[in-house]
Amino acid sequence: MKLLSLELLKLKKKTRSWLGPILVFWLIMIAYPLTIEVSSESMEIGFFSVLWISILLSMMFATEDIFTEDYNDGSLEQTLINETSFAYQVGAKVLIHWLLIGIPISILSFIFSLGTTGDMVLSFLILPFAIMSSYIFLNLFVLGNALSLNKGSVLGAIITLPLTLPILIVLGKSITAIQLDINYLGFIFLLLGSLSIIIVSVPLIVSYIIRAHLE
Amino acid sequence: MNHSLVIADNLSYKINESKLFSSLSFQLNKGECLHIKGSNGSGKSTLIRIILGITNPSKGEIKTNIDEGICYLGHKNALKSYLSVEDNIMLMGLLKHEKLKKYLETLSLKKFLDIKVANLSYGQQKKLALLRIFMGNSNLIILDEPFVGLDLENQNILSAFLNNELIKEKGIIFTSHIDCDINAKTLKID
Repeated sequence: MKLLSLELLKLKKKTRSWLGPILVFWLIMIAYPLTIEVSSESMEIGFFSVLWISILLSMMFATEDIFTEDYNDGSLEQTLINETSFAYQVGAKVLIHWLLIGIPISILSFIFSLGTTGDMVLSFLILPFAIMSSYIFLNLFVLGNALSLNKGSVLGAIITLPLTLPILIVLGKSITAIQLDINYLGFIFLLLGSLSIIIVSVPLIVSYIIRAHLE
Repeated sequence: MNHSLVIADNLSYKINESKLFSSLSFQLNKGECLHIKGSNGSGKSTLIRIILGITNPSKGEIKTNIDEGICYLGHKNALKSYLSVEDNIMLMGLLKHEKLKKYLETLSLKKFLDIKVANLSYGQQKKLALLRIFMGNSNLIILDEPFVGLDLENQNILSAFLNNELIKEKGIIFTSHIDCDINAKTLKID
């Protein structure tokens, strides 16, 4: 808990890092209806694609300097020699980023979905998908950032983007399933399964990669 | 190993094919201080990173016998520039430390508690980073150029502190190009 509260303190005080991705998401969602014919049917056609891509981009921005700052100021070295498991510390960092950025974006997804479709049930069903996909995307981009730690975040994003494609496909299919009123629970479990694997494996892999970078 | 905190046996390190240092062996016992000396680029910081376990040696073995973690301060101060001095002390986990008040006064940092670290001078930042060392509980202290940025008065405070820690049977390893009054044995790597 102490580790989480310290990570929260760091991110909370760095307004740009948590507010920036939320604003990017908000701006894309606001800009979307302005770019097409304003009729509710045409808006609904592409809304969910824009929603998932917005979440993806916001998570990419959220992880932009997740390790760079610690790497540059020497905090990563202190973390490494700390007695607490490094993978656990990486996991805590990702969790705090998700709580401060992923959760608000998921709630905004619900609001924008409701505003666009006017369908409360559909919008409510979007929520678990947004919550899980934001956490998955966050973990994947954290992995990319760890790989390109001292080479800039763009390279990390390029490396990671192909890994996000299967998740985007599942998200697309799940919306179709919800709209056609066929079984969508399978997709929720699929995302939940992926998330449970990613939650454990990414901090371990990232801690190994960062160790290699520092070496 | 009972009295030894660090035992280095035949350490070598090479970058690509060029050797930084080779066949380095030393031992640090409780209550002893080791001053690593060498010219720029001779591998002092690399040796420290090997002792810390961050870097693996190309050859040889290093054993450490420590109670809890290592008190370490490197070239970088590991401070968050966008946070206040007080927040940084909290991040170090020292906000409720019994000796905090004493060291804040000793290092003249008390009046800067609400100031952002970015607004402090390098010397003040260094003193803040040194709190980690002054209030650490580890029996092994490792410092990489700890006197850089400090004025003479604070250099003396640090030297006195380190000498006092040696009396408490702690082990100290440090690198420094600045002369200091610490009772240390020397390890030259060139």
